[in-house]
Amino acid sequence: MKQLIDISKELFESKQVGYIIGYAEDKFKRVKPFVAYSSLDTERFVFNNNSVNNLAVYLTRLPKAKEGKIGIVAKGCDIKSIIALIQENQIKRDDVIIIGVNCNSVVNQIDEQFSKENTAIKCKYCQVRTPAHYDYLVGEIKEVELPEDKNFAIMQKLDSMSAEEKWNFWEAEFEKCVKCYACRQVCPLCYCEQCIVDKSMPRWIDSSATTKGNFAWNMIRAFHLSGRCIGCNECERACPAEIPLSLLNRKMGMVAINEFNYRHGTDINQPTLIGNYNVNDKEDFIM
Amino acid sequence: MENEKFEPKIVAFVCNWCTYTGADLAGTSRLKQQTNARLIRVPCTGRIDPVFIIKAFEKGADGVLVSGCHPNDCHYNTGNFHARRRWIFFRQLLDFVGIDSSRLYFSWVSASEGKKWVDVVDGVINSVREKGPFNGYKKLNKEIEIPVK
Amino acid sequence: MNTYVLSKDHLKNLALELINTGYKVISPSKDGRRFVAISSADDLVINSNLKPSSVSMKEFFFPKTETLFFYKRNKDEYDLIDAAEVNQPQIIFGAKPCDTSAIPIVSKVFNWDYKDEFFNKKVENTIIVGLACKFADENCFCTSVGLSPVSEKGSDLFMIPLTENTYACKVISEKGKKFVSNHSKIFTETIDGKSININEIKIPEKRFESKEVKAWLDKNFNHKLWDKLGENCLGCAQCAFVCPTCHCFDIVDEECNHTCGRRAKNWDACQFEIFTKHASGHNPRNEQDKRYRQRISHKFKYYTEKFDEILCTGCGRCTRGCPVLTDIGIILEDINQLAKESISNN
Ligand code: SF4
Ligand code: SF4
Ligand code: SF4
Ligand code: SF4
Ligand code: SF4
Ligand code: FES
Repeated sequence: MKQLIDISKELFESKQVGYIIGYAEDKFKRVKPFVAYSSLDTERFVFNNNSVNNLAVYLTRLPKAKEGKIGIVAKGCDIKSIIALIQENQIKRDDVIIIGVNCNSVVNQIDEQFSKENTAIKCKYCQVRTPAHYDYLVGEIKEVELPEDKNFAIMQKLDSMSAEEKWNFWEAEFEKCVKCYACRQVCPLCYCEQCIVDKSMPRWIDSSATTKGNFAWNMIRAFHLSGRCIGCNECERACPAEIPLSLLNRKMGMVAINEFNYRHGTDINQPTLIGNYNVNDKEDFIM
Repeated sequence: MENEKFEPKIVAFVCNWCTYTGADLAGTSRLKQQTNARLIRVPCTGRIDPVFIIKAFEKGADGVLVSGCHPNDCHYNTGNFHARRRWIFFRQLLDFVGIDSSRLYFSWVSASEGKKWVDVVDGVINSVREKGPFNGYKKLNKEIEIPVK
Repeated sequence: MNTYVLSKDHLKNLALELINTGYKVISPSKDGRRFVAISSADDLVINSNLKPSSVSMKEFFFPKTETLFFYKRNKDEYDLIDAAEVNQPQIIFGAKPCDTSAIPIVSKVFNWDYKDEFFNKKVENTIIVGLACKFADENCFCTSVGLSPVSEKGSDLFMIPLTENTYACKVISEKGKKFVSNHSKIFTETIDGKSININEIKIPEKRFESKEVKAWLDKNFNHKLWDKLGENCLGCAQCAFVCPTCHCFDIVDEECNHTCGRRAKNWDACQFEIFTKHASGHNPRNEQDKRYRQRISHKFKYYTEKFDEILCTGCGRCTRGCPVLTDIGIILEDINQLAKESISNN
């Protein structure tokens, strides 16, 4: 923590940053996003297993700093979304200072104690506990116990189902959607100025939370994040209806890997997958 | 209803420059084809947002056909390349949520391929007729339909 | 009115009988996420220790999407067809005081200048069986908004645990009384209501004075607190969608095909950017701080002025679900603190 605060202070004192997005505790010691505007503010910064939020979402939500760059405290997985935003031309590498943190996993359910069972599934496969890209690096790597991947069995089960069974599975899930769009608001990569679901002339996706409208919304969102989602799982965490959105994102992520050997958010200089093409892309499904 | 012969409803999204012209050629050459497909002309396959395809299924399509210029022939040079990449994702997404992606067909049909157009359309119609109706949305639509007393 | 003793078996039998006689029987879902209509008495969940469901039970009175009427083209005109009338009686079990009290609170706005028959019909058709609450975590603050874990507000019948397997069931309303007499086979054993010991139920401490909060809100439409809150909040409106008292809706026309369609009433929320956006493009609440200020002010100032009720039952749902942990309880405590400071400064 001292390292993190020292670096943050230094960034303010040398006038390199206008503000730094980080984590702080509230009065019940719960960790939440916190924006520091001064060296004094940074004393509240913390980082621990409860630092779940992907703060990269604020990069496209908060106004530009009046002077200096934007500093951001980020885990390896969150840095993927920062890189993704750079790849997608939403921010410039020069406009951010990334304080990477060595991460020892984060909780799954924030209102329960951190433990092996209560560890986010994404942490199981994490390759970037020490971030791969940063300006500063803080924290220490410790041995961690990896959680069980409860979703793997569900994915396998889904893959073995008939179309109708799959439809029924998702019908039961999407029926619960209340169309709050929290999944979109927390997503660092849902930054569209006007989301397709808010377009009313013509209206492509019903605004009613009917199961039919919910199917369209969840399919289109999953599609828009295809080859782009970096798997932070904030959407699933935010969903009040607790719909397993990660299954959709994971499936689309697997398509990106299997068909194109592509992982979004790993290399600032790599052209994006979905904004580009290759003349040799497969077309065995086209008559 | 059970005994009535099922006639599939097909929506075809075709690009203006190749497939639409090809279909036109099939017409002017008086080639015989089945009439279950409703054509929707769009500027380019690159313009076909997958939300169109979802809309078609929502509105009762039993199958959807998407067709445009052959690779390297796109009027806008790269529209069909971009589209093709999206389809690779979209097909697998449909499968994952339970809309059998084999109800979604793709083809390249050029302006001179009137015959190919007829083969593609007839092939699609026959294959969907065999699969039977797509019932997923028919059930969900009940929610917003005028209830029958 | 009388107080009866009910065992878990009584309740199960009652639920079974009601399901069989065409009632929609509503209970917290087994996973605790929402309230659901159950089809088997085994799915009935009655537990005072449960955390409030993630999503409130408001959808049974104010559905997330509801048809107001259908339209159908008839030559050059349109025929309007009424939405199917909902006459199914419903009964809600296991609702906490912070759930049940929301009904009379929002009733006021649904019966103000216009009587919302859709809402009223459902309330009329519903028996609400409240349940005393033994949960109380740091997010709860029912006692600060004039309620408590044993408030009977909004209930027709109210249950208080006696032993592990038995409950005292107080009759609260005339509707409740009638219901009991219609099911006299179940409601047999009575006890003296005064003898029930509710001391075992922990009453959380009051966290703020809502009057002081309101007084501060009256004077601080512009304050830097709002900027700070607006900065964190992502505008996802999860808070409004899970809230038992948030009641904003949007009216949309939705086509079914080119000759017919429906007009629907859908949940909406003041946390959305497009909620106040004018057709001209102008948006009076163009920033999240203004939108969050609206959330607090509506609940603790405007609604109080207009309807003499706080538009919040202190259930803490909005806090538990907020992806960035915006804690309404802490915010109100902070406002109360600011109010105290401004009084002592004067
Ligand atoms: S769902 Fe699609 S259109 Fe909407 S914000 Fe996300 S990426 Fe943009
Ligand atoms: S779609 Fe969900 S998991 Fe993927 S980047 Fe967005 S919030 Fe994260
Ligand atoms: S967060 Fe969940 S309930 Fe809200 S719109 Fe997204 S999927 Fe639906
Ligand atoms: S749930 Fe939290 S982030 Fe979402 S709108 Fe409400 S206060 Fe803001
Ligand atoms: S504002 Fe929050 S605490 Fe108050 S009733 Fe709504 S969800 Fe519950
Ligand atoms: S113009 Fe035919 S595919 Fe682009």
